[in-house]
Amino acid sequence: MDTLNIEASKSSPLVKYEVESNTLEITGECYPENAVKFFTPIFQWLEGEVKSLDTLPLTINLNISYFNSSTSKALMNFFDILEEAHDKGKKIVVNWIYMEENETAEECGEEFQEDLENLPFNLVIIDSEQGI
Amino acid sequence: MINDMFQFYQTLKKEGIMFCFSGPTSQSVVEGLGDALKQKMEMECMTRTASRHIFSIFVEQMQNVVHYSAEKASGDQQTEEELRDGIVVVGKLEKDEFYILSGNYIHKEDTHRLITLLDKLKKMDKNELKIFYKEERRRERREGGKGGGLGMIETARKASRPLEYKLTGSNDEQHDFISIKAVI
Repeated sequence: MDTLNIEASKSSPLVKYEVESNTLEITGECYPENAVKFFTPIFQWLEGEVKSLDTLPLTINLNISYFNSSTSKALMNFFDILEEAHDKGKKIVVNWIYMEENETAEECGEEFQEDLENLPFNLVIIDSEQGI
Repeated sequence: MINDMFQFYQTLKKEGIMFCFSGPTSQSVVEGLGDALKQKMEMECMTRTASRHIFSIFVEQMQNVVHYSAEKASGDQQTEEELRDGIVVVGKLEKDEFYILSGNYIHKEDTHRLITLLDKLKKMDKNELKIFYKEERRRERREGGKGGGLGMIETARKASRPLEYKLTGSNDEQHDFISIKAVI
């Protein structure tokens, strides 16, 4: 399986794939100048990933406290690809993680959830104390 | 030229302006000023939701300048980042109300499209804005649009009143100046 590891910057999140648990984590704020460019390696990784027949389900943990409108489009695209793979039989779980006091992140998660039909998409609240 | 900085400073204070930037803008300017704005908002003891909404509008409007302002900063120096000029002001209206003003030159051929969008957004309530945002999010993705529209819808959604805009014609025939006001 391809590795994927992108360091966080001021305007882009940490992206990390762990082979053992088959988990992709995206953590931090996301408002890069060019969201399409930022997401390109993630989509390339995803292309390989959706073809593989893992026994472990693919877990996607997203803890994105803030994102801009162009990232919103990239994320929608990302979820559409996941949903298509899910419909073809791949096991996938998406966890949208947000801090209790971040109503904006909660609403964003709900809006993605509303726009997806079959993809398992969980809203996961964490205490402010737990941090990220 | 402004000779009296103190007077200029006092005017800004009197108008309730917390934050003001005018000049060449790039992603690193957005990030640096965004940090300063976050700190300033923390000092002002705003609610977290209000701070988040202001930050979101600030980023959308600044990135709009970075991508679409018709005024490119001139200079012989070749820099990695292309700088475009714009202005942004964050101010306080009443006790719990804030505003963000942003302005930049646009090409006349883009004026009609932008004004049509802004007029459309003005008439929408929160729920209509949400539906429109979701539609555009999928449509722009499918059609590979540049995405400027989604940022404006996002700004309208985060504002607590309909967006106001003012269009000022410029002396040259190719550009207009657009300013947008969002109240939170």
